[in-house]
Amino acid sequence: MGTLVLSQVARSFGNVVAVRDVSLTVPPGTTFGLLGPNGAGKTTTMRMILGVLVPDRGTVTWNGAPVDGRMRRRFGYLPEERGLYGKLKVKDQIAYFGRLHGLTAPDDERKAAAWIERLGLGEYANRPCAELSKGNQQKVQVACAALHDPELLILDEPFTGLDPVNAEVLLETLRALRAEGASLILSSHQMWQLEELCETFCVIADGTVRASGTLPELRAAWPTRVVEVQPAAPALRAVLDATPSARALPQAASPDALSYEVAADADTAALLRRLVAAGDVTRFQRVEPSLGEIYLRAIGEVA
Amino acid sequence: MSVLGVIFGAEFVRRLTSRPFIFATLIGALGIVLIAVLPRVLGGFGADSGRVVLAGERTLTTTARSLLAPDFSVTAVVPDLPAKPTLAFLDAHGKASSAALLTRDARGIRVTVYARDPSQFRSAFARDLAPLQVALATGVPVAAVRSHLSVPVDVRGVGGPFADESAAVAAKGIAYLFVFLIYLAILLNAQSIMAAVAEEKTSRIAELLVATVDPTVLLTGKILASAATGFIQLGVWIVVGVLSGNAVTTMFANGSHGSGAAQAAGAMGPLAVSPGVILGFIAFFLIGFVQYSVLYAAAASLINRTEDLGSVAMPLVFPVIVGFILAQLAIENPNAGNVVAFSQIPLLAPFVMFTRIAVGAVPAWQVVVAIVINVAAAALFAWLAGRVYRVGLLLYGRPPSLRQIVATLRA
Repeated sequence: MGTLVLSQVARSFGNVVAVRDVSLTVPPGTTFGLLGPNGAGKTTTMRMILGVLVPDRGTVTWNGAPVDGRMRRRFGYLPEERGLYGKLKVKDQIAYFGRLHGLTAPDDERKAAAWIERLGLGEYANRPCAELSKGNQQKVQVACAALHDPELLILDEPFTGLDPVNAEVLLETLRALRAEGASLILSSHQMWQLEELCETFCVIADGTVRASGTLPELRAAWPTRVVEVQPAAPALRAVLDATPSARALPQAASPDALSYEVAADADTAALLRRLVAAGDVTRFQRVEPSLGEIYLRAIGEVA
Repeated sequence: MSVLGVIFGAEFVRRLTSRPFIFATLIGALGIVLIAVLPRVLGGFGADSGRVVLAGERTLTTTARSLLAPDFSVTAVVPDLPAKPTLAFLDAHGKASSAALLTRDARGIRVTVYARDPSQFRSAFARDLAPLQVALATGVPVAAVRSHLSVPVDVRGVGGPFADESAAVAAKGIAYLFVFLIYLAILLNAQSIMAAVAEEKTSRIAELLVATVDPTVLLTGKILASAATGFIQLGVWIVVGVLSGNAVTTMFANGSHGSGAAQAAGAMGPLAVSPGVILGFIAFFLIGFVQYSVLYAAAASLINRTEDLGSVAMPLVFPVIVGFILAQLAIENPNAGNVVAFSQIPLLAPFVMFTRIAVGAVPAWQVVVAIVINVAAAALFAWLAGRVYRVGLLLYGRPPSLRQIVATLRA
């Protein structure tokens, strides 16, 4: 168990700046979601954590000490670009990565067998990896990354290419790893999966951190809230229009509803009282921003 | 077990059981058997070209028949030949390769040869029949002339590395064979490392590997495993070479033909190779192996498709071939100025310096200097290759330009 801290790390490739300035902290046992559009610098950040790339500037520390090769063997990694030794049998492949991470016989084979069982790969254990479907190969890679009970597991787009059934198997596996106390760093474009798994998020765009924190913290920093009111009666609309800072949204949740954006600190209780006084209100809802909305705003896709 | 040990073990087993390795070992062994056997077998074929029909007056053909015995087998003796002998005529007379008409004029005998292959025979007939010419001119009996023409020559060493002619010839043969082995082992194994690195890169497993282990350790493990399997391969080839050489020597014990390779094969008894040569072989094989392997691995880390292997391998095959050719020159002139210089130059030294050690007395300081220069060069290549390898493994898309590679090395 340890704390990962990235402090002002930067990395360029020639004239291309991949990571401009990223600082983040992953406390022990945290599941950390790394979000960002393609080319934002997520993979480069992950590679710097793993020592695959050396930062041009800044530091990466684990429990306060610079990350070295010995520490990295206690990490696990599932890169976005998957790869396996095609001719090697599934069980041998998994055990080999276990040994690379410091497992010795017979632990390597015992744990490989356990992971094969856990991920439902039993019937493929003695088959060369090249003969497996893409989804099953991905499960083998997950086993290679997690076999040695890593203290920190970094997964770059782990759900890409998985069908819903296998995605659920992976989700369940990651929940179990989280329960066992491992710190997880995940990147994904599947917001609901991140929202389901992660406690802390960091949105990166153009190589810089645009937003970070837990979902409540990110929501607390969100400047507005949406208020949905039913029915879409003219009297209720008039109350909303008269509310300072309220702005009608072009699309409501249903044709019979009114959607308005109000300031985050607006007194919604008072608003509800005014609405009730103006007419029959069948539904009043203060909608918290979703992770997707926070993400889109953070990367500048929406105002 | 250390990470290096894990990588070494896995790579060793993977390489030893890989089809290309087994195939290359078998092909190499077959090549060595052919090198040992072919010259002798071809020498045997040469006997067929010595079948000759003799024509002319009986006194001349009788004497000529005995004089030609070492090189020719006379299939028929006839008083005269047709005006224009044909292939059918040769076929009809014991499938001879040639027909020789012996005539006499004022200057002595004259031989006219009608041959299937006119490029042969001139010197053999001239040499073998010279005693007859002298006998006819002087009246001295042919046997006496023949005896006088034979000059016993005994070549001995003058304090050099070899006591006599046979030792020197054997040493050249050994040099030839062992340099060939170094050439074959470096070329096959370095290319096999290249294929393995390319496979890891193109299968995209490289990123997972370098995130787990230091790329330098990964590269070192690969090269050590490859060197170990390379030694096993060499061991197989040397055993095959010794066995086939001994077998050939036994089978052709009375033969007179033989090239350097065949003589080498024949001389390859267990006691024929000195410990110094064996040490030189091990040292320069290892040095050469490391120098080439790291460069091949670095080059392979830059490609994106296995189809591109050939283009990046080409510049690296060139010094291997040049080194092998220079080694052939060094066999005959081990102490020529340019050979001495080449024997110090990295990438060439493994071939040239080993050859010099095998065929001549190389001053110890030159060997030491060559080892120092080449070990330093191997370390430098390994360092440079490690940097290229580290970056190259993660480079996808367009192959990097030379400028980008240089920038990587400077970074």
